[in-house]
Amino acid sequence: MTRFLLRRSLLAILTLFAVSVLTFLMFFVLPRDPVSGMCPKNCNPERLERVRRELGLSDPKIDQYLAYMKGIFVGRDLGSAQGGHCDAPCLGYSYVNNEPVSETIARVLPVTLSIVIPAAILWLGLGIGLGMVSALRQGTWVDRVAIGFSLTGASLQLYFVGGVLLLVFTYQLGIAPVPHYTPLLENPADWAGGLVLAWLALAFLFSAIYARLSRAQMVETLSEDFVRTARAKGLPNSQVYGRHALRAAITPLVTIAGIDIGAALGGTVITEITFGLQGLGRTAVGAVHAGDLPMIMATVLVAAFFIVVANIAVDLLYAAIDPRVRL
Amino acid sequence: MRTRILIAACGAFAIVVALSACSQNTGTQDTGSSSADAANPTQTGVIATDPLDSMGPAPEVPGGAKGGTFTIIRELKIPHLDPQRVYSFAGLMNAALYARTLTTWEQIDDQLTLVGDLAQTPGTNVNGDCTVWEFTIKDGLKFEDGSQITSKEIAYGIARSFNPDLTGGPTYLQEWLSGTPQYDTAWDFKANKSSLPPGLTTPDAKTVQFEFDRPRCDLPFAVSLPASAPVPPDKDTGVDYDNLPFSSGPYRITENTPGVQLVLERNSHWDPATDPVRHQYPDKFVWTFGTDDEASANRVIADNGADQTALDWNSVPSSLVSKTTTDPALKERSLLSPTTSANRLTINNQRVTDLSIRQAINYAIDREGLIKMLGGPTVGAPMTTLMPPGTLGYQAYDAYPAGPNGDIGKAKELLAGRTPELVLGTADDSSGQEMATQLKGNLEKAGFVITVKNIPADDKLDETKKKDNPWDLYLDSWAADWPSGAAILPVLFDGRSIKAEGNSNSAYMNSDAINAEFDRIQALDPDKQAAEWGALDERIMTEVAPVVPLYVDVAYFLHGSKVGGLFVSGVFPYPSFVNAYIEQ
Repeated sequence: MTRFLLRRSLLAILTLFAVSVLTFLMFFVLPRDPVSGMCPKNCNPERLERVRRELGLSDPKIDQYLAYMKGIFVGRDLGSAQGGHCDAPCLGYSYVNNEPVSETIARVLPVTLSIVIPAAILWLGLGIGLGMVSALRQGTWVDRVAIGFSLTGASLQLYFVGGVLLLVFTYQLGIAPVPHYTPLLENPADWAGGLVLAWLALAFLFSAIYARLSRAQMVETLSEDFVRTARAKGLPNSQVYGRHALRAAITPLVTIAGIDIGAALGGTVITEITFGLQGLGRTAVGAVHAGDLPMIMATVLVAAFFIVVANIAVDLLYAAIDPRVRL
Repeated sequence: MRTRILIAACGAFAIVVALSACSQNTGTQDTGSSSADAANPTQTGVIATDPLDSMGPAPEVPGGAKGGTFTIIRELKIPHLDPQRVYSFAGLMNAALYARTLTTWEQIDDQLTLVGDLAQTPGTNVNGDCTVWEFTIKDGLKFEDGSQITSKEIAYGIARSFNPDLTGGPTYLQEWLSGTPQYDTAWDFKANKSSLPPGLTTPDAKTVQFEFDRPRCDLPFAVSLPASAPVPPDKDTGVDYDNLPFSSGPYRITENTPGVQLVLERNSHWDPATDPVRHQYPDKFVWTFGTDDEASANRVIADNGADQTALDWNSVPSSLVSKTTTDPALKERSLLSPTTSANRLTINNQRVTDLSIRQAINYAIDREGLIKMLGGPTVGAPMTTLMPPGTLGYQAYDAYPAGPNGDIGKAKELLAGRTPELVLGTADDSSGQEMATQLKGNLEKAGFVITVKNIPADDKLDETKKKDNPWDLYLDSWAADWPSGAAILPVLFDGRSIKAEGNSNSAYMNSDAINAEFDRIQALDPDKQAAEWGALDERIMTEVAPVVPLYVDVAYFLHGSKVGGLFVSGVFPYPSFVNAYIEQ
């Protein structure tokens, strides 16, 4: 186990390093000069160049990259135009938001976490629950309703479902508040009220996929020999389904859930845009539009971090669920 | 409103000129004419020099009531709050709430008047030649902590705009005082924080004096921008000042979460008796960021709960225009007004040197078709002049009367069988592509052979500002920082300012005769300039035809049912908050 964790951690660091290099290089391919937005109209080229120098954007790219990485590990001096010294882990200074990037990340990350974690609990519970019930009641009206639900969910897009939810519950009926974010500890009821539509939209769409997958897995598992053996031994249905069949059926779903949740934590861009919530994904898109390199780097690295960690977590869960897997 | 005495500045000037219909609220706060037609001049502009005109309190707004929270829904955060860095439209309109300036614009019905804000008058032209200007500060001005506002804090605010760290703001005052665009190298703010830049002095606590090496007759206009707002030196936190500037206006910033929310609450130390334009009706102004145009429009249309007191700062999306323009209830809650943001088809005069070809281009363009393609009268209003209606000295004319859809016959006649091959450079985004297709169609009907070349949208402005750019035609726009011909015609058409890059004169027009006219008019007494700019506008189009004036942007906004007192500014194309109130 320790060896596995060490090996995966090293691989994770290498992955993040590769992502950081690629992101940095891709930024300079963007057809946009971030400095032009900082210079007012009539800004002459000399002044433009001075601003560029001030922000370090005229330095060789390798120097800019090394300075950025140095900031993450030991901090660095960003100059008076960018708020002075920046302590480690310094993710740079956003010249669009006019604040240290770490402050922006600290503000937007809880929004994304607040959208994704409750939504994931909902979609996993609803999706797997529906799939299981559907598998156990094959051919009944319950099965048909569940299949219809999952087909509908799998066919729709979040911007459509989100738009309809907003139109009906917020704009027309006025029973759901305009989506907003309030910190959980500040006002739990307001936190839930402001995000409930986003959770519902995500849960509906994702649970549809999980319902289909878990139904198929469960149907297949129920025809396995070990399930027949368990029944033959006279175990009650609750134990056959709950302890034996479910455990085997759920293993492949863990992989998909890990990837989905990891990717969603990296930024639920469409959800955040549809519901007007300023999370990590929306911040990343805004940074790309504005040519805000430090913000692009930070959001991409945070997103990559979540995906890497989710993958490690999936491997660990695999071992915990399936006794045949050894790390 | 008290009777205005229109006299000349410095003993000096008054400008009374016909301007266009500038603002229309189609609802109960109707303050303007009946359509967004840019060609119907009805407005009058003045500069008030009687100190009484610059004193408060501002006249009560009919229906105005204290209380409530005024919400403004916007997709993106306001780029800057630091008054010396504010230059976006949202920033400029928002700054009026917390940053007072030496002068400001009063807008009553369709009349714009430049009045003193911190200053007792819009400035004294000491020698009558616009090289020395003096502003006397009002009594009773206070910051949000109750401390006195004096000439020192105003001068310090201007001095700190020389700080190279404070990017983004206008540079008029810095360049005029230092005499060079390289102002931050001409005077080093960081090394001279306790002194003032050359030409800026404070002879006493109530006087700010500007001295320039050449006439700067537009100074009273330039100091209406937030760059002249006072900043106490001990409150200046450099780049961090952008997050929480210190208030001198009727509201103070109490919360700023970048990209999420900005809250302004009443400043109890603001004295309405010193302020000729602002009110303090709502308890709070709250900007909420992150809602896109579809969602914000739907929220305001639904008019539920807190959205009843909200303004949608995002323009109404085209998908909802047919609904909002036909529903009488929504029309009541909309603001529709042509603005001073002017769009033109620029002709590269270095490459298209034949006047008759430029004139033929002018005849060939179908303005009505173009505006229809853009979304109709809620998006643009046709214009045929260089200065948009709303500019002091504006005179309506059409040098190439081709009707709303162009005159192909007249264009062909001017071309006399020639088929000029022209390159139209356009942004590679969807609107650039659509407009290029439309313009190409117009011009090819007249016999031109048009090749469309795409330019990356983000680079287009910079690329077309390069003197040796490879395109014959491209779309441009200009929104002047104040409604004076001096802020438009010489900036866009003085050929002596052409340099290798960064040209505002992107038509690269260089006419000795017109350049001489620029010099002549700018040397005139300010009160005589406005009409001269109007006449020169027509002369440039008639004699040179350097561009094709196309349309002015139309401001179109929705607000909730309990919002009152809003109007579209005649200076900048967005709603002004100075009269805003919440119906109680």
